[in-house]
Amino acid sequence: MADIGRISLLLALFAAVYSAAGFFIGAKRGHPGLVRSARNGVLAVCGLATIATASLVYAIVTHDFQLEYVASYTSRDLSLVYLLSTLWAGNAGSLLFWAWLLSIFSAVMVFQRRDTGRELVPYAGSVTMITAAFFFILLLFVASPFQRLSFVPPDGRGLNPLLENPGMFFHPPFLLAGYVGFTIPFGFAVAAMITRRLGDDWIIAVRRWALMAWLLLGIGNLFGAWWAYVELGWGGYWAWDPVENASLMPWLVITAFLHSIMMQRRRGMLKIWNMVLIILAFSLSILGTFLTRSGVIASVHTFAETPLLGTLFLVFIGISLLGSLGLLFYRSDNLKSDAEMESVVSRESTFLLNNLLLVGAAFAVLLGTFFPIISEAVRGVKVSVGPPFFNQVNAPIFLAIILLAGICTLIGWRKASVRNLWHNFFWPLVTVLAIEVFLFIIGIRQWYALIAFAICAFVLATIIYEWFRGTRARHQMKGDNYFRAFWGLIGSNRPRYGGYIVHLAVILMAAGVIGSSLYDASVEATLQPGESVRLQRYILTYDNIDQYETESKQVVSTSLSVYNSGHLLGQLTPEKYFHHNYDQAVSEVAIRSTLLEDLYVILVGWEDTGATSFKVIINPLVSWIWLGGIVFVLGGLLAFWPERRRPASPNDESGRST
Amino acid sequence: MIKSKVCLLAVLLLVLFLAPVVPVKADAMTVDYISGQLICQCGCTSVLNNCTHAECHSRESMTNLIRQKVDQGESAAAIIQYFVAQYGEQVLSSPPKKGFNLTAWLLPFAAIMAGGAVIYFALKKWVKRGTHQPEGVVPVNETDKEYERRVENELSGFTHGGFR
Repeated sequence: MADIGRISLLLALFAAVYSAAGFFIGAKRGHPGLVRSARNGVLAVCGLATIATASLVYAIVTHDFQLEYVASYTSRDLSLVYLLSTLWAGNAGSLLFWAWLLSIFSAVMVFQRRDTGRELVPYAGSVTMITAAFFFILLLFVASPFQRLSFVPPDGRGLNPLLENPGMFFHPPFLLAGYVGFTIPFGFAVAAMITRRLGDDWIIAVRRWALMAWLLLGIGNLFGAWWAYVELGWGGYWAWDPVENASLMPWLVITAFLHSIMMQRRRGMLKIWNMVLIILAFSLSILGTFLTRSGVIASVHTFAETPLLGTLFLVFIGISLLGSLGLLFYRSDNLKSDAEMESVVSRESTFLLNNLLLVGAAFAVLLGTFFPIISEAVRGVKVSVGPPFFNQVNAPIFLAIILLAGICTLIGWRKASVRNLWHNFFWPLVTVLAIEVFLFIIGIRQWYALIAFAICAFVLATIIYEWFRGTRARHQMKGDNYFRAFWGLIGSNRPRYGGYIVHLAVILMAAGVIGSSLYDASVEATLQPGESVRLQRYILTYDNIDQYETESKQVVSTSLSVYNSGHLLGQLTPEKYFHHNYDQAVSEVAIRSTLLEDLYVILVGWEDTGATSFKVIINPLVSWIWLGGIVFVLGGLLAFWPERRRPASPNDESGRST
Repeated sequence: MIKSKVCLLAVLLLVLFLAPVVPVKADAMTVDYISGQLICQCGCTSVLNNCTHAECHSRESMTNLIRQKVDQGESAAAIIQYFVAQYGEQVLSSPPKKGFNLTAWLLPFAAIMAGGAVIYFALKKWVKRGTHQPEGVVPVNETDKEYERRVENELSGFTHGGFR
């Protein structure tokens, strides 16, 4: 199977190079036959990449330990689900998974039925095939998943036990799919610049691709946060690790893009800016892959350091960044727009500010991530940049972004007057003040929390008010009952109302982050059986410790009875696993989760005397983050869901050259 | 009507301004606070109180040392400085706000302010240019009736105008 995989990769490389050249030459010289042939080449690339991936999966599930990759990441005792997850658990496998996804996305892109941007497809296909070829080169010559060992080990080393978690089964594929998804909008942007078709066609063609990539990356990040929370055992969900940062940066930039393309569609503005955002998002997505593989920055997520791989990624980022920015500079005259506005106080202004802050936040994360290298280069002194830095720098920026989401919802396009603002914002402001009074009464006293919750409440109130006004308007215009009017409102403009639902999700997540960051409490205690530790209103009594063996690990399990104000709530069993094939012990935290707060218990250590150490944490509102994640997916899907196709009209923009 | 609205807002604001708020919790002398300012030296790259490696001996020894120094009455700054002298600046979980490190702390805000200035001047230029009101302009003093009409127009126009 390894030979089939290797040969498939080699053929896929040839097909990708052929398609890239065929698309470009065919489109440039006007040879439709060559373009069609290149299109079939993409199908071949997709088929061959699928065969290569299937070969590796077959080797994994049949325990072909002669393959170095299979021996390094799998073992006989691994369940089928986690065997499958080893496809993306290692460096070479994840690169193959990337190339496979890219080939599928490229095939969908070139065969997609579209009303606009058809002329851009060959050039966009050329770009995606060049990217695919780069990955095939890596897979063939630098990091092959089909590398053989000179002997056949009886069993593999096994999967890192930390990765044996449902969160880790979903986190990498969603994250990688998000990264890969950015290639398609980037391809269209380059195509638009090459062909000088710089109007709206390319943004219409890429909007749903960008939205899909953004949604997938967002889901990937959420799965990663959930996995970190339940599996890593430190009580948090986001550590601002360089690799986490690498996945956040393109997400922020694409969030800005999804807003700024509305400006281009409505007002013909920000054409250059939109190009810059797509170029940045693509470069940052590759940067994430570079960070995990180069070893240039210390991270808990890194694969084995491969300097050559890191260098090649850096070269690829450099070429794509400089090439696309050079092309943008060359076409900048064609991208200038005669923007005009009626007032500084308008929704347009809030969109501009929102873009500035989103990109500013991405820049702050980028600077913090690379500052250790910058400091060492400039001063010769190593520094660490951890959560305190990122929290302090980003918290005010994120709060400002959230505030703008509220202002933007109720401020009109083009122009808003004082009366208009007063009329729209009065009830949301009253709601905010009422909620603030309520929060104060229930004991929220920290000024930072009060401001942050006020901002969240304001955005929530503006969204609900906007929905209420829209529903009432439809009810009065069409005579529908309120329920029908509401669904009609949502269904009639899914991108807009899907966007509002995503804003709602952001509010839920922000409330969760604020609550868990500012009102968490913890205690560490060493207890003998029968002894108790108190944290706020909870009392935890240590019952017993047990040790037992399973096929793959030794388990140390403890049991604690949890009481709240004297009532027994149940048992919690924090554990420690010692896997036979893995050096490090793994903490299995015990979590009692409610909508209000999580009680999070970690088994820290134990002694022969029976003394056992625990760390107990109360994390308020963490459930709201996961709830927000579900709402985020619903909103994203609503915005992504395709509109009903309509017959092309003579006035259609498709094919229009700008 | 406007008077009563203003009164309602004023009352709510007054209630809040009279409320005694407190700063963000930061008990500088707690072991947890000081641990949060330091990076664990076991190679995990995590903040000291977040390191969960069972085999990590740094966390225990560093935390015990912090506890001992806190009990001896040393200040948080002195304890942190002790660790900097032991391990270098990289033991700190964030770069100290001085010298070259200030670039990391200030540059994002400077960049945002510079971007804000660019946007402000661009907006002024565009507003100056936009002397006429194109078709579909939102009325300045929009009433509920006008809002209803606008929502309906925008929603019916959506099918023909693409996303917004």
